Amino acid sequence: MYAKLLVAFLIIVLLLIIVGAAGLQVLSGVNRRGNELVKLQHKIAAYRQLQHDTTSQLYAVSSALVVPEERTLEATLRQLNQFGYDLDRLEFVARDEVELLGQVRDDYEKFIGVVTHVVKLIRGGKVTEGRELQLTQAGPLADRLERVTNQLVNRAEADMVASIEVGEGAYRTSRWIVIGFAVASIGLALLLGYVISWSLIDPVQRMDARLREIAAGDFSRRVAVVNRDELGALAANLNRMNDELGRVYRELQAASRLKSEFLANVSHELRTPMNAILGFNELIIDGIYGEVPPEVKVPLVDIHNSGQHLLRLINNVLDLSKIEAGRMELALENYLVRDTVERVRASLSSLAAQKGIDLVSAVGADLPVAMGDAGRITQCLMNLVGNALKFTREGRVEIAADLRGDALHYRVTDTGIGIAEDQLETVFGAFRQGDATITREFGGTGLGLSITKKFVEMHGGRIWVESELGKGSTFSFTIPLRVELAKPA
Amino acid sequence: MSAKTILYVEDNELNRKIVRDLLRRTSYRLLEAPDGEAGIAIAREHHPDLILMDIQLPKISGIDAMRALREAPATADTPIIAITSFALSEDHQKAMDAGASAYLAKPYSPRELLSMIRELVPEG
Repeated sequence: MYAKLLVAFLIIVLLLIIVGAAGLQVLSGVNRRGNELVKLQHKIAAYRQLQHDTTSQLYAVSSALVVPEERTLEATLRQLNQFGYDLDRLEFVARDEVELLGQVRDDYEKFIGVVTHVVKLIRGGKVTEGRELQLTQAGPLADRLERVTNQLVNRAEADMVASIEVGEGAYRTSRWIVIGFAVASIGLALLLGYVISWSLIDPVQRMDARLREIAAGDFSRRVAVVNRDELGALAANLNRMNDELGRVYRELQAASRLKSEFLANVSHELRTPMNAILGFNELIIDGIYGEVPPEVKVPLVDIHNSGQHLLRLINNVLDLSKIEAGRMELALENYLVRDTVERVRASLSSLAAQKGIDLVSAVGADLPVAMGDAGRITQCLMNLVGNALKFTREGRVEIAADLRGDALHYRVTDTGIGIAEDQLETVFGAFRQGDATITREFGGTGLGLSITKKFVEMHGGRIWVESELGKGSTFSFTIPLRVELAKPA
Repeated sequence: MSAKTILYVEDNELNRKIVRDLLRRTSYRLLEAPDGEAGIAIAREHHPDLILMDIQLPKISGIDAMRALREAPATADTPIIAITSFALSEDHQKAMDAGASAYLAKPYSPRELLSMIRELVPEG
């Protein structure tokens, strides 16, 4: 992956360098041709100056012949110097025109000689001789010079036109080269970007989809990623994780099933002897086997209470296992609140009587038929009342139920030891009691409240506690009057 | 009026003895069956007035036995009290679906069982 990205970036950088270099090349070509054009212009200007000089010289000599004054003659000689100066400049700007320039220089030398001679003749008063020399020699020489310089000008102008044409052609070619390079670079960069990003995105998308399936509990498939880079390694690890998770998941499912079957069997096996113990005990208490002396009845009631207590513990442990395995479901049915509360009171009345605690119930009059899991609601009340009796040394425990709006309010109030304020939040957690020292004095597993809370929440209700240390506690929970559908634990 | 007959289908001898002792001082006549198969056979032969059916039974389960009894015209309307395990609340629903008239969670109070019996089949 790292190498792939590096190569892609290097290729793009290389393309940028090539486009830049091509641009520079074109720019320097344009600059060079510009310089050439400037040189040609200088040349043409120098040639024109020479032409001008020749004409001025002829005019000056002619003037000197007409008006043979010393001032005119001086001007003529000065003109000659100017002519020489311009010729020197010409040799500097047009070094390549050697042949023609040599001709010009030769003619110029001759012309100087002739003009100097004419000036001498005029000064010596031989004006006619001077005119003669001027006509026969200086005139034709000047004509020839003019012709040659014209030739030079024409050639330079032709050179300039040709150079401009070449420049335009080169410009067009360069433009297409630069545009071509730029378009090709952009195209290549886009293609590279697409290929690279797709080789990243596609495997990531596939792995994401696979991870979603795994999260949803589907371990049946593997993700196919052909990359031989980090993503390929990631996919291979993902597949390994999938296989391992799938294996563990199947083992867990099997273990969970075995556990449930085991729990159902244990439950049944425990209930059969419990049924015999509690059943025979009750028959004895009820005098089926003959009159029972009062002093024997007391331990028989102890057996009954302990048996009921053991039963609550067994139920709670089995229920917690079922809740943890996610296999707890509500069995909804029509029930009467009064019957439920009365069953709890009747079951625990002998325990209350033994401890000298008043166990009373207060169910609102004319409660309609309710819908819910009566067995679970009974279990909740059994847990709360069992706790209340356990943590109360004297006084009373009240079970109350009434209807407020669409919800049944159940309350279990005691005059027991109470719960410290900072422990009100934690009493509903599994294996929790208010204080570790409480466990030593009162015993218990601390399961009842957490299971009660779970059952209440499965019914769509809520549970809370109000308490004052040393004064007592009130546990309240709400259950919708008609529970519509069972919520999974 | 002749004594009412009750059939108790239950595999555990001690549990059967509880009901036997419970009914000793009443006028009810008790028939006993140790498994579902025997329970169906006795029900067909004696047409009891009430059947107490444990759910977890050897050979034929209580649920299947109840279905079989409900299909036979002679026992189709006989009241049945299903005795279920409290830990498996879904058993209640299964039992009612299979044709039980009422159910009782194990371990049950004999006192409660007797009042349920009297409600369904008053003593003769």
